[in-house]
Amino acid sequence: MGRSNTDGASVAASTAPGGMHDRVRTENRDAQSSRVPVDRPPLAGIKRRRWNRRTRKDTWVFVAFAAPNILLILLFTYRPLITNIYYSTLDWTLGSASATAVGIGNYVEFFSSPDASNVLGVTAIFTVTTVGGAMILGLLVALALNQRLKGRTFARAVVFAPYVLSGVGVGLVWLFIFDPTYGVLSWILRGVGQVSPQWVNDPKLALVMVTIVYVWKNLGYCAVVYLAGLQSIPTQLMEAAALDGASNVRRFLSIVVPLLSPTTFFLLITSLLSSLQAFDIIRIMTPSGNGTSTLIFDSYLQAFGSYNRAGYSAAISVVLFVGLLIMTAVQLRFVERKVHYS
Amino acid sequence: MSTETTEAPPNRDRPFSWQNLGRTIAGGYIPLLLATLVVFLPLLWMMLSSLKAPGEIVTTNLTLLPKDPNLQNYADAASTVPFARFFLNSVIVTVVGSTIKCILAVFTAYALVFVRFPFKRVIFLLILVALMVPPQVSVLPNYVLIAGMGGLNTYWGIILPGLGTAFGTFLLRQHFLTLPPAIMESAEIDGAGHWRKLWKIVVPVSVPSIATVALVTIVSEWNEYIWPLIVTDHPDMMTLPVGLTQLVNSDGSTQNWGMLMAGAVIVLLPILVIFAALQRYIVSGLTQGSVTG
Amino acid sequence: MSISLTRKHFLGLAGATLGAAAMAACAGPSTDGAGTALKTLSPDEWSKVKPASSISFMSSHPGKSRDTEVKLIEAFQAANPGIKVNLITGGSNYEEVAQKFQTAQAGSEVPDVVLASDVWWFRYAVSGAILPIDDLLKAVGVSTSDYNPGLIGDYKHSNQQWAVPYARSTPLFYFNKDHFKAAGVPERAPATWEEFAEWAPGIKEANASSSGYQNAYQYPAIAGYAGWTLQNVLWGQGGSWSKEWDITADSEASVAAMQWVQDSIVKHGWAGVSSKNAITDLQAGAVSATISSSADLAATLKAAKEANMRIGVGFLPGGSAASTQVCPTGGSGLVIASKTSPERQLAAAKFVTFMTNAQSTMALSSATGYLPVAEAADISSIVAQTPEFKTVVDQLKVTRTQDFARTFLPGGDQELAKAATKIMNEKADVKSTLTQLKGTLEGIYNKDVKPKLKA
Repeated sequence: MGRSNTDGASVAASTAPGGMHDRVRTENRDAQSSRVPVDRPPLAGIKRRRWNRRTRKDTWVFVAFAAPNILLILLFTYRPLITNIYYSTLDWTLGSASATAVGIGNYVEFFSSPDASNVLGVTAIFTVTTVGGAMILGLLVALALNQRLKGRTFARAVVFAPYVLSGVGVGLVWLFIFDPTYGVLSWILRGVGQVSPQWVNDPKLALVMVTIVYVWKNLGYCAVVYLAGLQSIPTQLMEAAALDGASNVRRFLSIVVPLLSPTTFFLLITSLLSSLQAFDIIRIMTPSGNGTSTLIFDSYLQAFGSYNRAGYSAAISVVLFVGLLIMTAVQLRFVERKVHYS
Repeated sequence: MSTETTEAPPNRDRPFSWQNLGRTIAGGYIPLLLATLVVFLPLLWMMLSSLKAPGEIVTTNLTLLPKDPNLQNYADAASTVPFARFFLNSVIVTVVGSTIKCILAVFTAYALVFVRFPFKRVIFLLILVALMVPPQVSVLPNYVLIAGMGGLNTYWGIILPGLGTAFGTFLLRQHFLTLPPAIMESAEIDGAGHWRKLWKIVVPVSVPSIATVALVTIVSEWNEYIWPLIVTDHPDMMTLPVGLTQLVNSDGSTQNWGMLMAGAVIVLLPILVIFAALQRYIVSGLTQGSVTG
Repeated sequence: MSISLTRKHFLGLAGATLGAAAMAACAGPSTDGAGTALKTLSPDEWSKVKPASSISFMSSHPGKSRDTEVKLIEAFQAANPGIKVNLITGGSNYEEVAQKFQTAQAGSEVPDVVLASDVWWFRYAVSGAILPIDDLLKAVGVSTSDYNPGLIGDYKHSNQQWAVPYARSTPLFYFNKDHFKAAGVPERAPATWEEFAEWAPGIKEANASSSGYQNAYQYPAIAGYAGWTLQNVLWGQGGSWSKEWDITADSEASVAAMQWVQDSIVKHGWAGVSSKNAITDLQAGAVSATISSSADLAATLKAAKEANMRIGVGFLPGGSAASTQVCPTGGSGLVIASKTSPERQLAAAKFVTFMTNAQSTMALSSATGYLPVAEAADISSIVAQTPEFKTVVDQLKVTRTQDFARTFLPGGDQELAKAATKIMNEKADVKSTLTQLKGTLEGIYNKDVKPKLKA
């Protein structure tokens, strides 16, 4: 049973880092129960027939239960994905009835134009700062929340709240706050004798602006997940370390951080995926993508902005998808190794 | 567990001791208060601004509180675009969409965990990879399909393409895997079929997880922007986030920020209320997905 | 071991996706090289067509004109009881309408009448998304001479008419009279930018003490069609983005003009760039003057009145090389989609000519500040109500056709805005930025336009 179980564990563990041993055990159960009919030595005729009947029946149950969802996913996620790969080989102006096949021309153009370094650079900066920012700040907030303080349930809810809000609404509110002329931020800065930076006009600051808002929106998610990770650390461990005379910092670095690493890894992956797909806030706050053209937003702008280059846009989104896929594959490998170590 | 302390005497974290008080405040309450304010103040500003007159907003002499708080901006927003209708559309789309999605997710996850089938892992991988397809990728091809089926400006046209749920299935599968085998075995001995096992055993013990999926689904349906934007062009069929952007009128026209903030309140408030009522589930469920399984 | 397993599953996945590929409908563009030829009817044939009973009109309701559009549609339906018009919202600006219309081309349902801004109609014409309307206009008994010659002339391409003017505007110089008064300069728009440059330091100094005051002049936000209003400065100093298809963005005069713009911001420091909406900045009292569309006129004057602020308007200032004919026209026209049926197109023609007749254009003008497009329009009643409107109409006589680089090159406007951002916000070197811009624009022309211009 080794092969499939290892793999199954890796998939599950990659997505749910805590309680590894639990995880492996339950996975085994799943694997066993699903493989029983195949793996068991041949049984007496009657019994086998019953098993087969059950298996056949199960197959139908599976189809009935899972097919609607899977068909919908195939139809509205995979079909567009394939179509998109096809579009990416065309020189096609959105709105035009005809197109020219250009093979990998769009990809060549993307990677050989200055666009690529610019877009990939912005994507990298945005992703690293938002993921890093939300995770570090999230951990700090989680540490504060993990103490037995009055009102921490309330604080936890408040901190998490932006995560559930509409990116469109949040973007508008922050755009109003950041406005250099009549925004409240410029008013505060004037109060301390400063002039408001040009948040929208300066491409670098525009990126800073959307990063701040994105972190604001997602910080609570990281905090809550980290909090759960902290709470799963056995208190005896901490107390024992305290008795040994370990300082707070040392306890934090040598016990908490390593024990949190599965949580960190889970957050890293989920945050990376959502950061790379961040759209609403960027679209609302910087509609022309001045300084904020991440892969996903550039792909949108190329097709639906001023250029109408649907084929080129499709190529960019394929690049993004492949990037996400590679990241996930790396994650599969990485976590698999971690599971073996633990 | 404060991060910045370097004092030598290692004392146990007894929360209310005198030695600890100062540190608790510095390391606990202050960051907590700060984080709460950072989240709360922008939203408060939105509320306050929505109650101000245009002259109090488009000015460099800001006053924090509205001089004469009134709901004029809400009335203006509602008369510029049919906000009541947007609201209704959002409710319909969210309720129908998330109900179906949750049911599909429960069935699929159950099948993936408890029903024998040869290609389960491939199917699970298929669902996992679907999480990685950026939604923008599917906009154009799905538009062509839905428009061809006559789904523009219809509820089903808005709802259908988002129904296949990779996330919900994934989260519930992770949870079902952690259910103790014993409870399934007892049912097995009773000779219960899958239908009964699903409704009598799995669903009742998974209510918190299902609630989490439900709430995450509600949140994402309510906030969905790009697809409803593409598939609707009649104001009677737009959802709130799409309708909100209709307030931003361009060709140079003056931005009526008061009205925009009123619109933002209408979009953000309902989900905040739902969240406040049910945040326990969202938070505990997400946590469960990430740590205990 | 585990790698092979992962690969096995990925292979399985690949198999499943191939299945999905088979399901992928063959929608989308055709690649056989032969785009479907446009079917246009002869005038005789048009006369035999019966107009459809229902059409749709996709608009962004420019200048907050939704109510006006609804009223005009009601009037149209009353005059043409057999035709129902469905008003649809394509978005909140021209670009969003264009996005919707272009996306709709990929599907089966396209709107019949669409609002198309100056930078979009040509692209639609080239891609075959809209119809030439000469014969259609004849069929509904309207002549191009019924329209303002300059405004309808903008929509001519290869000797065919592609749109009728609808929500047409010019930029106007808006200024805060109180700020001008405080500086002791005349309460009028400056005749030239040189004159304003002399006033500007004084204006800034006189008002600097008021809280949050920023600049004597605010350039419109780059995202808000910077390429449009900057033509004014370029033309005034003898430059331009282009002369016909010849890109002149890097000519000596153009570089000098853009250098002047950069200096006004960086070196002299009396000008700034709006981050969202310059006219709102003016209303906030943060700046003393700006340039914005005439479409903002009614709303701006109303807001100023409420805020006890005196706002004046005037012609766009000239420059060292030209003091008149330095104002571009802009705004949008109405186009008729080609991918529908003759019945619907005929009904659409009836509708677009109704929306732009003397009475309708007056209604739109008085509600917004858009230009009256019909020759027969009598503006005296509007002027009586809003005296500033006379400036709008008078300036129309000294307008100049926009540079092709902005209006006819796909994405050209976007490239102009990018260059403007670099020069005005990032203090980039003017000459090299404009040289690079020229290269980009020529690339667009050679790739996307030249092959499609048949002689």
